[in-house]
Amino acid sequence: MAETFQNLLLGFSVALQPSILVYAFVGCLIGTLVGMMPGLGPLAGISLLLPATFGLNPIIAIVLLSGVYYGAMYGGSTTSILMRIPGEAASVMTCVDGYAMTQNGRAGPALAIAAIGSFIAGTFGVIGLMLLAPTLAEFALRFGPPEYTALLLMGLFILAYMSGGSMLKTLAMAAFGLMLGMIGIDVMSGYTRFSHGLVELGDGVGIVPVAVGLFGVSEILLTAGAPTAPDVQRPKLRDLIPSREEFRLSAGPIARGSLLGFLIGIIPGSAHIISSFVSYGIERRLSKHPERFGQGAIEGVAGPESANNAAASGAFVPMMALGIPTSPVTAVMIAAIMVHGILPGPLLIQQQPELFWGFVASMYVGNVVLLILNLPMVGLFVNLLRIPYSYLYPCILCFCIVGTYSVSNSLMDVWILLAMGAIGYVLRKFGYDLAPVALGLVLAPMLELSLRQSLAMSAGDYAIFVTRPIAAVMFALGAALFVFSLKPLFGKGGDWRASVGLDSEQG
Amino acid sequence: MTSSESSGTSQPRGGLRSDQFSGLMLLALALYVGWANLEYPIGTLQEPGPGYMPLLLSIFMGTTGLLIALWGLKSAPLSGLQWPEVMRAIVILIACAVATLALERIGYRLTVIALLVFFLGVLERRRPLPVALVSLGFGFASFYVVGDLLHVPLPRSPWGF
Repeated sequence: MAETFQNLLLGFSVALQPSILVYAFVGCLIGTLVGMMPGLGPLAGISLLLPATFGLNPIIAIVLLSGVYYGAMYGGSTTSILMRIPGEAASVMTCVDGYAMTQNGRAGPALAIAAIGSFIAGTFGVIGLMLLAPTLAEFALRFGPPEYTALLLMGLFILAYMSGGSMLKTLAMAAFGLMLGMIGIDVMSGYTRFSHGLVELGDGVGIVPVAVGLFGVSEILLTAGAPTAPDVQRPKLRDLIPSREEFRLSAGPIARGSLLGFLIGIIPGSAHIISSFVSYGIERRLSKHPERFGQGAIEGVAGPESANNAAASGAFVPMMALGIPTSPVTAVMIAAIMVHGILPGPLLIQQQPELFWGFVASMYVGNVVLLILNLPMVGLFVNLLRIPYSYLYPCILCFCIVGTYSVSNSLMDVWILLAMGAIGYVLRKFGYDLAPVALGLVLAPMLELSLRQSLAMSAGDYAIFVTRPIAAVMFALGAALFVFSLKPLFGKGGDWRASVGLDSEQG
Repeated sequence: MTSSESSGTSQPRGGLRSDQFSGLMLLALALYVGWANLEYPIGTLQEPGPGYMPLLLSIFMGTTGLLIALWGLKSAPLSGLQWPEVMRAIVILIACAVATLALERIGYRLTVIALLVFFLGVLERRRPLPVALVSLGFGFASFYVVGDLLHVPLPRSPWGF
């Protein structure tokens, strides 16, 4: 514990440097704006800023990008509460009761509770990251290729199990993402696969064009013709203070949402989205007056908003400790760190303590910055929402194109972006979840390498995955979840997801 | 409206279902990948080759595609899927494709200005003055922020503009 505290002090000595503070502030500000804009979620925001971080030192780069990430989590709640438009998918559940509160004239307290809940959950998530990541990283030093194969496969099965939609569709999308990851040079044999003679595809398909295309461009294609936004309420500072009763009702949901969100955040998939759905379902179930939900229950704002912010912090645990992204956002952030020659993984915390602890400390600072930004300045931010969408989406599209192009100055990336936008549009029409595609793409090289190395180690014997205890446990867990997730296909009984509202479309 | 949403509102009728269609498309993609993968050596279990993993994936994807099609009997009819914005989406994609072709030829600023003039003036039918202000303002301001302040190399036109 004393060592952790000392490390945290080291982190604060890094995070409180003026240059890092400025970048943390800029990241949070951009994130808040990005989170408020429909069609530009945290992923698109981070992807667009990625090229700008190439010239920065790695600590500043990660502080800036993580500021965008949790800033977007905060910002998404504002549009949900004031306009019933989720700035990003994790805020869908906040729309339900947040907007109802706005209609009841309680927009201010809804915004305040969302910001306070996000602050508490974000801080709790950072504490969890601080305590859990070093322990997990130490444990992961025992991992060899079979353990990594088992871990990655377990992650994909957990993703399928946790997914809100059909398990088969989720697995198919993960396979599609893994297939995209096969394009390019095979590192073990030097063969160039599926490149169809295009030299630019030799390096493979990048995460940025795929992620921005699937999530950003497809959203614009779906919504570009939508009518313009309605009038926006502009709450004053004095209207923001919740009543004592509202504070009392929110305390439990914030605590539960923080814990739940952090735990779900560690799991692969769209954790911040899933956590807000699960939190809403649980709060509705625990409430003595569930009929209030949908009519402006403040618990319906406090729980999901806390959960999605805690999940954003939880997602950094496997990223930092194992070097494994559990969401498209962390995948892009890993790409940002790797540009600087740093490989996230079990050795990162030992070899780069300033980076890890500086990052942790900057998250504490970021949460304070966001609280300051989101409460007194909310009136200023809502002006952005007055811009008609017909003006916003062309500018967002231009940002998507320029951001993707500038990652590696490649027009091929822009073509991939447009193709992925079209594919994402069609897949969403057919009810497919897109997160597994991006995740599969990122995990593909790791999974292939570890699988082939494992088979080479065991002279082709697949039993290596069940004779090594850690790999066997992870495989057993993955297999169990796979069997559980098959249950709804054969039986009439619903599974746990239906009971917490995860059968809904996740946007 | 997605297939899952529409399934709740439309009554089952004859004809192909949306999940059957999408499942069969996935199966077709898996078969294509399996066929294209014939070019690469599969290797052995002791030493898997570059074609090993794609083969496993095409089998897995083909199986899931087939299962989606088989379990898709109760999904929404394919003809019931709503595509009200598809024409606009196609126009947007074509405009972006043209902009992509132009980006390295006429430079970032001119491309973005032309793209915004098309979107705002032609597609959204906004008044000329706001269109001009937004297009020029965004084109120059974004170049300044991204290119000059953040030092991201953006393409310039042959005229240095």
